[in-house]
Amino acid sequence: MISLVGPGARLVDAATGDVLAGEELADRVAATAEQAATWPGVLFAHFPATIDAVVGYLGALQAGRPICLLDPDLHTDLRDRLVARFEPGAITGGKGDLPPGYHDEGGVWLRDEPSAVTPHPDLALLLTTSGSTGDPKLVRLTPTAVESNARAIAAALGIDGGEVAITSLPLFYSYGMSVLNSHLISGATVVVSPRTFLEREFWNDVNTYGVTSLAAVPYQYEMLKRLRFDPSRYPTLRTLTQAGGRLKAELIVDFHGRMSAVDGRMFVMYGQTEAGPRMTTLPSAYLPAKVGSVGPALPGTELFIRTENGAETTEPDVEGEVIFRGPNVMMGYATAAADFATGDELGGRLSTEDLGKLDADGHLWITGRLKRMGKIFGIRVNLDDVERLLTDTPPVAAVPGDDRLTVFVESGEEQWPAKIKARLAEALGIHSSGFDVRSITALPLLANGKVDYRKLAEEGA
Amino acid sequence: MIEIDRLRKVFRSSLELPEDYDVDGLEYRGIEKWDSLAHMSLVAAIEDEFDVMIDTDDVIDMSSFGKAREILGKHGVEFA
Repeated sequence: MISLVGPGARLVDAATGDVLAGEELADRVAATAEQAATWPGVLFAHFPATIDAVVGYLGALQAGRPICLLDPDLHTDLRDRLVARFEPGAITGGKGDLPPGYHDEGGVWLRDEPSAVTPHPDLALLLTTSGSTGDPKLVRLTPTAVESNARAIAAALGIDGGEVAITSLPLFYSYGMSVLNSHLISGATVVVSPRTFLEREFWNDVNTYGVTSLAAVPYQYEMLKRLRFDPSRYPTLRTLTQAGGRLKAELIVDFHGRMSAVDGRMFVMYGQTEAGPRMTTLPSAYLPAKVGSVGPALPGTELFIRTENGAETTEPDVEGEVIFRGPNVMMGYATAAADFATGDELGGRLSTEDLGKLDADGHLWITGRLKRMGKIFGIRVNLDDVERLLTDTPPVAAVPGDDRLTVFVESGEEQWPAKIKARLAEALGIHSSGFDVRSITALPLLANGKVDYRKLAEEGA
Repeated sequence: MIEIDRLRKVFRSSLELPEDYDVDGLEYRGIEKWDSLAHMSLVAAIEDEFDVMIDTDDVIDMSSFGKAREILGKHGVEFA
């Protein structure tokens, strides 16, 4: 059981201006908790940015009903595959046809034959990993993980009851969820808005409701730059936070400068859904001196570097895999319903599969990925999977860029770059501007005949 | 090519729509393909195609095909 609603916490419906707080909020959460308690198994909740959805989420957590947060616009076929694999007892917020084996009861879809799996008592929250190829795994989080991470984020960012956040990220996405959790638990206000940066209403809401902080991922910073974001137009907005992948150094310096000019703050952070999700935060005062670092571990958590011989060290300037320890680390993954019955498999230790090093202050610098992974607009993509989508083209090699992928194709034929771009956009459901496809005369090879990705990455940068 | 067809073409390619897709009635977020990411690349493509600089307010105001036409009109592009 978790209560994420701290004393004084408020939800504001941006569309109507309605405020939900105090006893009224507690009553509504209690009512949804009571309902959630009657469902068997795990709840799959489509999670749009609406007050009802937020209240439903808080109610499920309060009732101890394990809840999995889903994209409200999830494609029906992908949804049905998830439902078949994970056998949720109830589904809320669903659109279109019901999945096979479910019936509608007052807008909630219930499973006809309850799943044989009883969820582990420590299972509170399930989040999808943002793998875009294939079917996602679910991250299993305990109440302690959710609550401790919300409090640690609040401590690192100095969130108090006077702060006002706005939903600038999807709430089913771990970073968006963490903004909600960390503010509510601190007794702060969250403005719930379905709008994006590209709508005038969003910016009107920022001023109308006195929003004090804005959370954004790298591609949104590029948008803010394009929109010539000027914090002096928003007198209450004095904090920016950034997570969801590496932001270009020039943009960190740029936005830190914009915020400093109005006595504001810019926080660069690092996390993974597997850590519920936040692991580090770089205090604003370290910018611009430490641009490129993601800062120290959150309060109550620790970072180590695993060296090639397997030892874990906090010694500065040793490069290796980043190891994170803290109460917010997941219990493990779930790839099928049976995994919901499993307890903690990690003991609070997460191998991040990121490469990095610590400096003398214990601040982390990420230097690369252990596996060949890239990120496109914040979505994690396995580069080998990307290459496997292109087996009937001339030889290709994919390397990560700044929130985009660079794909090299070994052909002088003009048709290929455009074709490959369109194909990847279609197959991965990502806008084609996320792929930079270039012709190359010959892919560079290592002595062992394998593609020299390091060289390509340099060329792609 | 007349200007309106140039604009239609930019919309289709930026929003990754088929060549015969009717874009004249499109609105921002009215179709799945016209999301915030596509919007940024649409604005950039319009700037390139018509050699104009679209300012912040107009980036936000360009919420439909009709609006895009209006905004380009302000920049002296004639859709006679």
